[in-house]
Amino acid sequence: MGDSIKTARLVAGYFRHNLMSAMAYRGAFILQVVGMLLNDLMLLFFWWILFQRLPTLQGWDLGGVMTIYGVVAFGFGLAHVACGNAFRVAQVIASGDLDYYLTLPADPLVHLIVSRMSLPAWGDILFGLVVFILAGPERWLSLPLFVLLGLLTALVMTAFAVIVGSLSFWIGNADAIALQAVNALTTFSLYPVDIFPPAVRVLLYTVIPAAFVGSVPAALLEDLRWQNLVLMIAFTAGIVLVAAGVFYRGLRRYESGNRVTVRG
Amino acid sequence: MIRYAAVVTVAIRQQLAYRAEIVMRAVSMVLFMGVFMALWSSAYGVSGQAELAGYSLAEIVWYLAMTETITLSSSRVFVEISEAVKAGDVAYTLTRPLSYPLYQVAYSLGGSLPRFALNLLTASLVVGLGMGRIAGSAAGLAAFLVTAALALVLDALVAVLIGLAAFWIEEVMPAYWIYQKLLFTVGGLFLPLEMFPGWLRGVVRWLPFQFISYVPARAFVAFEPAFVLQSIAGQVAYITLFAAVVALVWHRAQRRMVLHGG
Repeated sequence: MGDSIKTARLVAGYFRHNLMSAMAYRGAFILQVVGMLLNDLMLLFFWWILFQRLPTLQGWDLGGVMTIYGVVAFGFGLAHVACGNAFRVAQVIASGDLDYYLTLPADPLVHLIVSRMSLPAWGDILFGLVVFILAGPERWLSLPLFVLLGLLTALVMTAFAVIVGSLSFWIGNADAIALQAVNALTTFSLYPVDIFPPAVRVLLYTVIPAAFVGSVPAALLEDLRWQNLVLMIAFTAGIVLVAAGVFYRGLRRYESGNRVTVRG
Repeated sequence: MIRYAAVVTVAIRQQLAYRAEIVMRAVSMVLFMGVFMALWSSAYGVSGQAELAGYSLAEIVWYLAMTETITLSSSRVFVEISEAVKAGDVAYTLTRPLSYPLYQVAYSLGGSLPRFALNLLTASLVVGLGMGRIAGSAAGLAAFLVTAALALVLDALVAVLIGLAAFWIEEVMPAYWIYQKLLFTVGGLFLPLEMFPGWLRGVVRWLPFQFISYVPARAFVAFEPAFVLQSIAGQVAYITLFAAVVALVWHRAQRRMVLHGG
């Protein structure tokens, strides 16, 4: 219990610290947030045009796709704001920068992933919220469920990033592969899973779990089925455990970078 | 001119040195084309029509293969320029016997060329196998290569302009995101302009973005000499305009530079 409180304080401390350093350059921060908001908004343009020509696509309409975008953007934003370094795990391992985290008493995995915040990701969070509320009538009523599913989505993304990043423990610099895998997860998650052929769909529920980042939570927001919510929670818990397992198994193979660095 | 050709050659060699990155780009292309083929097969299946806005399924997929080929080869030279501006390194380039913006355009084109060749090959293979046919002609391919080359020059000029914006704004990435998304949308990267509502098509045909994505891809899948000639004229006009703007901005930027001894 004591350890959990210590970890929570570490996470909160880093969050506050990262946000305050961002605020030192307020103009750049606001520019990045607004830029990302516009960036995300323009991605919906494609679907807006497409649904003018087709009423629905395998059961999904514009509102449904907006819900997918909402939950993916919100989860992506949360993951990159709170655990921004999870997406740099491969680079940190390969360059030997992991030493810094190993010398301190905090849990190295948690400490590693929370020590960076992506600033534009605040724009993703904002976009996710706005687009979800605009996707249909009385959406604010399901806002608590949206936030819960966004959190689960963020955990799935973070855990996946840690798993692919940890490949660096075995194959050297896995930076390019990890980046590619995370990009694949994000790309696939933005499309309704039902448009893909069955074999690809199996992959999207397992190896690249994009379905659990986009379509599954979005479908829950359209139609809450308890068994699917339980499945979503179980999958999230499972992938988080796998990520921690893979990271610590890999850590046993880690050789120090033998680099003298000072970290501010 | 020979000096800039040398810059292009060096950039090509530099690009070829990063083989792992090249493979990753090919994987990206396979992924994107796979998603597009699944999406559009579904869309055509649902619509029950053989053509949407004049495009058959094979034509739209080949159209997207061509727009992606250009986009994934596009310039990221603004990263280097903005870093050089922020770090002050840009001052050292003033003593070189080259124009800094032109050097960056040449460097960007050299980096784009190997990527372009690989992207074209990968996209054509994936889409050719997936669709079972080529939705284009030899004349279309020639028109594509000419208009795509002009598209990459125009794109490099925009990238240099975004990089030079670092003289005035702290962070240039948001400017790049917006430019990239304008290519995605009104540039016709994801959808040919024929699919747009009439009023929007009327607006976007005057903008520079369609000359980078839509024009070369459309020239490939539906070759029409009049369309190609008209488009080339538009591309050349925008290249001239952007070159003038880059020259003007660079002139202003130089006046903002403060040099200290040392």
